[in-house]
Amino acid sequence: MEEKYIICEDSLEGIFTAVYDAYALREKHEHIHLLTEEEDNYRLFAVYLHSQPDLVKTNKVIKTLRSRLGNEVYLALCQAAASFYADKAEAVYKTITDGITSGRGRRTMDDLKNPYVARTHELARRTANEAHKEIEFLRFGELEKGVLYAKIGPENNVMPFIMPHFADRLSPENFLIYDEKRNLFGVHPAGKEWYMVSDAAGAEACIETEPVWSDRELRYRGLFTLFHDAIAIDARRNTRLQQQMVPLRFQSYMVEFRSK
Amino acid sequence: MEIRIAPQMSLMDKLKILTDAARFDVSCSSSGSSRQNDGKGIGNTLAAGICHSFAADGRCISLLKILFTNECIYDCRYCINRRSNDVARASFTPDEVCELTMEFYRRNYIEGLFLSSGILYSPNYTMELICETVYRLRTLHRFQGYIHVKAIPGADPLLIQRAGYLADRMSVNLEMATAQGLREMAPNKHRSNILRPMRQIQNGIEQNRNEITLYKHAPRFCEAGQSTQMVIGALPESDYQIMSVAENLYDKFSLKRVYYSAFVNVNEDKDLPAPAAGPPLLREHRLYQADWLLRFYDFKVDELLTEKRPNFNLAIDPKADWAVRHLEQFPIEINRADYRSLLRIPGVGVKSARRIVAVRRFGSLTFEDLKRMGVVLKRALYFITCGGRMMYPTKLEEEYIVRNLAGQDPAGKGEKLFRMTDGTLYRQMSLADYGVQTYSQPTAGAAI
Ligand code: SF4
Repeated sequence: MEEKYIICEDSLEGIFTAVYDAYALREKHEHIHLLTEEEDNYRLFAVYLHSQPDLVKTNKVIKTLRSRLGNEVYLALCQAAASFYADKAEAVYKTITDGITSGRGRRTMDDLKNPYVARTHELARRTANEAHKEIEFLRFGELEKGVLYAKIGPENNVMPFIMPHFADRLSPENFLIYDEKRNLFGVHPAGKEWYMVSDAAGAEACIETEPVWSDRELRYRGLFTLFHDAIAIDARRNTRLQQQMVPLRFQSYMVEFRSK
Repeated sequence: MEIRIAPQMSLMDKLKILTDAARFDVSCSSSGSSRQNDGKGIGNTLAAGICHSFAADGRCISLLKILFTNECIYDCRYCINRRSNDVARASFTPDEVCELTMEFYRRNYIEGLFLSSGILYSPNYTMELICETVYRLRTLHRFQGYIHVKAIPGADPLLIQRAGYLADRMSVNLEMATAQGLREMAPNKHRSNILRPMRQIQNGIEQNRNEITLYKHAPRFCEAGQSTQMVIGALPESDYQIMSVAENLYDKFSLKRVYYSAFVNVNEDKDLPAPAAGPPLLREHRLYQADWLLRFYDFKVDELLTEKRPNFNLAIDPKADWAVRHLEQFPIEINRADYRSLLRIPGVGVKSARRIVAVRRFGSLTFEDLKRMGVVLKRALYFITCGGRMMYPTKLEEEYIVRNLAGQDPAGKGEKLFRMTDGTLYRQMSLADYGVQTYSQPTAGAAI
């Protein structure tokens, strides 16, 4: 039997649509595979199909996942789909088929003996960890009109997982988070719902120009940097541990390290 | 209230002095409260707490940890701010503390405020300043983030109660494990003055719990509980004494956390220890690990230490130490053992023990499965079987296992071991012992 490869967009919508398309083929799942990128070396005796992201199909898949597998599994699948590893689409797809055919439902993620489930678990954990790190280490600066602005550069697409946290915490604030690796903005207008926009032109402006900070901004950066230095106990100095706890790729976005 | 504070100093200078002065309080946790934003102000809290940065000593920065003032009428021997020291003095105004908290919080620098203080004029005067500051934060600024305040020993119970309704967490530092030690180190403090507010806060929390069951919207009193701290290594107290006190504090005072602070001889006091290699960080680390065993692994102090063997083996962690002295209880069969026994295996943490129980329902587990579940096999392998087999043939023999485990311990790595008279293997202590470690307080999921 020939193998079929479905190539889909690298997004939650893209992956879930491809899962829908895979089911629609009504063939054995073991011969169908999902990819988010074109392969360099096409395999002989393999069929390549292209799947276009589709909101209606995506929503159908989401509805099925939530009712058949429960919200917790659904969240893990979303986190895995946001991973930057190339095999995520396949892992997510095969985890879904495993959960649905086995009827394990809410306990799907416990089946760690299944390599796809184990992989989905691993990818979801990495995304969740990185989202948590951004919640810890992301730094806002205040722009001219009081709008808060933060720039991040995460490996995985963590935006959808960090926006709810900040939207609750900073509910009376206007804020903007910019993921410079994906040209993606998380936007929160004070007191309203948050949303995401992917905006290449806006992104360019963000990369090219240093934002215009408010007058007070430098004062608080200075104060915090001072606090950060003063709180350390010299007799316990341990910069190796510090670096282990705050990896360098986060430090370059943080005021207290950047000023060094 | 009338506030008598000299305004002339800049906020920069004050922050420098009052952060410096607050460094030795180890607590920085922002955990224990779970509160959503109500839409009327800024802030929320998460049960697990959040760290926002790490200082050059590797310790987490979660809260804006400052003293309100470093003026003090007392003269504690271990404290840099004591009356008899000639150091630069400063005091914030309540509004300055509010400004720093709000502006740092908006920028995601901090999770909230940890306000402690030297004793200015009197315990009551100081406690009132703390209350006033936190009151302004909660009402004027509608701040809903995390607040931890010190209860000043000797302050009026009414002031302590007032603070408890504004703060998420309160703490009174026990300072020394024994009453005798406290007399020696802090002549102006009395054990009873410390235990009294501790008891009051405990009762307040319990009462509040009843109020909340009756009326869901009752105001919260110290929702995140109370904590305390002991200085380690200034006096010759044993680990057994220290851990027994900690156990008592957990059991009888319902404390959320006990912190241990390796003594740093800041005042160059000739009668107190000043190890050339720095503060006893490795000992502090072992105490934190043991504390973890009390709180999450269902251990009792009497299982870990005895009068005859009153100190932890620095070479390996307290759980491994316990295991090698109870080899008759091992190996444990992963596919059958109950949850509590799983928790006692070195290399199996709370998370992996839970996962083992959940996953083995689908079929029996292999070593490969265990690895995927986060079990640290190179530590666990001496103590477990999977389907009746050990991972590879190994000796169930104390000395052999200790040598191997000590070689892997991030804190005790590559150290020489020697034998004590009671037969225990100890690590050879060297000057480098205390200066070079790269460990931190264990975190919730860590396997120990
Ligand atoms: S009461 Fe003692 S420990 Fe506290 S600030 Fe004063 S001298 Fe220091």
